Amino acid sequence: MSAAAPVAAQIAPITAGYTPVDKDERGFWSEVEELERNIKTSAFVIRDPALNGYVRGTFCRIVGASECAPIRIYIVRTADFNASMYPTGMMIINSGLLLRMRDEAQLAAILGHEFTHYTHRHQIQIFRDVKRKANAAAWLSMIPVGGLAAAAALSVAQLGMAASIFTFSRGMESEADAVSVPLMARAGYDPGQAWRVWEQLRAEQDATAIARNAKSRKDKNGGIFGSHPPTAERLATLKTLAAAQPAGGSDERAAYVAAVRPWWPKLVDDQIKLNDFGGTEFVLGKLAETGWTADLLYARGELYRTRGRPDDLTQAAGFYRSATAMPDTPAEAWRGLGLVELRAGRVVEGQAALANYLKARPDATDRSMIEMMAEEVS
Amino acid sequence: MKKIMVFLASAALVATPALAYKLVTHGQRVAVAKSAMTIAPPIDWNRQQSRPGRNAEAWTLDGMPLNEVTFYGGIAADQTLFKEVNKKEKPLPRFAAGMLPTDVVQMFEASYRLAGGSALFSVDGVEPATFASNRGFRFRYSFTLEGEEVKRLGEATGAIVGGKLWMITYEAPAIHYFDRNLADYRALVASAQLPGPTVTVG
Repeated sequence: MSAAAPVAAQIAPITAGYTPVDKDERGFWSEVEELERNIKTSAFVIRDPALNGYVRGTFCRIVGASECAPIRIYIVRTADFNASMYPTGMMIINSGLLLRMRDEAQLAAILGHEFTHYTHRHQIQIFRDVKRKANAAAWLSMIPVGGLAAAAALSVAQLGMAASIFTFSRGMESEADAVSVPLMARAGYDPGQAWRVWEQLRAEQDATAIARNAKSRKDKNGGIFGSHPPTAERLATLKTLAAAQPAGGSDERAAYVAAVRPWWPKLVDDQIKLNDFGGTEFVLGKLAETGWTADLLYARGELYRTRGRPDDLTQAAGFYRSATAMPDTPAEAWRGLGLVELRAGRVVEGQAALANYLKARPDATDRSMIEMMAEEVS
Repeated sequence: MKKIMVFLASAALVATPALAYKLVTHGQRVAVAKSAMTIAPPIDWNRQQSRPGRNAEAWTLDGMPLNEVTFYGGIAADQTLFKEVNKKEKPLPRFAAGMLPTDVVQMFEASYRLAGGSALFSVDGVEPATFASNRGFRFRYSFTLEGEEVKRLGEATGAIVGGKLWMITYEAPAIHYFDRNLADYRALVASAQLPGPTVTVG
């Protein structure tokens, strides 16, 4: 394709059964299709029918049953926050996104926004735009190892990179927001969650940076922050869009919490092991706005224990103690408490806590090690 | 560990240099990881010339993707296990002298997850073990690197001695290779020696 017209406003929104017509788009599709074939068999895809059913149900609720039907959603086990939609109708959701959403309305906001990029064919516009400005080779070089087809062999690792070339223009973001916020209201969701979700993600980037004594990357980070920059201006527009919708709408928080709960221990564990103290502390605090549950206190204990500064261990002990005082405490809170007590030299307390852990988890994979550590320090 | 680095390098379109190896002949005791730890290998191994970290060294029999042994020779307080892969955005956790064996396992897991960009890592067992005549630990793990999709198993044996972490790890694809060379790895571990407590370590 040569001397293309400016990208905006020349492409009609996608309709059901759409297939690509020109060479550019057909080539692009075939590469994405190969990527999808690899993802289908990836060990990173979460196949739990209940979780997939819930995410799909949320998506169908916001976009409508007929629009929803042809879309394939893959939830991948990746702790970083991201979601992306490909021009063929494949949607990828990182498990790290599910950890961060506070309710179903926030999830719906992301899904509706991504879907609008798809219906309005923003990706192919960017593809052509990049091609026009440089050339195909330059575009391919942005995707590691020789184009999407080869990147497909690297499958999930490259998803983020493949998606990151889709830096949507300000106009495209406005369009996606302008379409998706009314979709939320129409589906009965609180449209105000659209700006809140982006606001909390910006704040998380700040928190990560502060704890690392680094400059916040919220305006230039890769992943979803690169492709959907949540600028202050965009937040203001999202607020205006929400205010224009009829009052009411629910956030479906209880349904969301129940759906994600079976996966929650794994998701928060993945997050804690990212060694991102500030960001993780922010995420936990945000989730605890309606109260610190035993799960959240345990997770916070793990976070502080993992960083392991002397003061952190004291704090961690406090969080674990609060968790273990609750009726629904995870048994691992006793383990965490026992370990920090041992490190602090409070042997008797440590041994007692570890005994509680082993009583609740007789088949613990670290049983013999825990038993030995409890004996050794005495 | 090296395979994580190589994978990242290729993913980032950096030309991967031919990896140079040197033969480690059996029957001789050799110092590893530029440290006071010595090993007497019962069979020949290949030592990778480029080291995964300042206090680390990697050996293989058939090539890193098929079987890899990594020696960590006295990781001191505030040091990472191996080289940072993205210090700015994904800094690796650091060793602390007061760590318990379970803390070492946790640090190891986080380091792998960060360097390999993978959430598919699990520790499958932690138990007491003797390492170079010291009371130490052993743990099993499994992981899959993003993009590679090969399930690997690993075993690590080590101890904290003199405030430093000494450890030898082994990992190989779960299919065929891990079981095939596990005994070869354990023979290396069994031969490991550290200077006695009266000798200054490091």
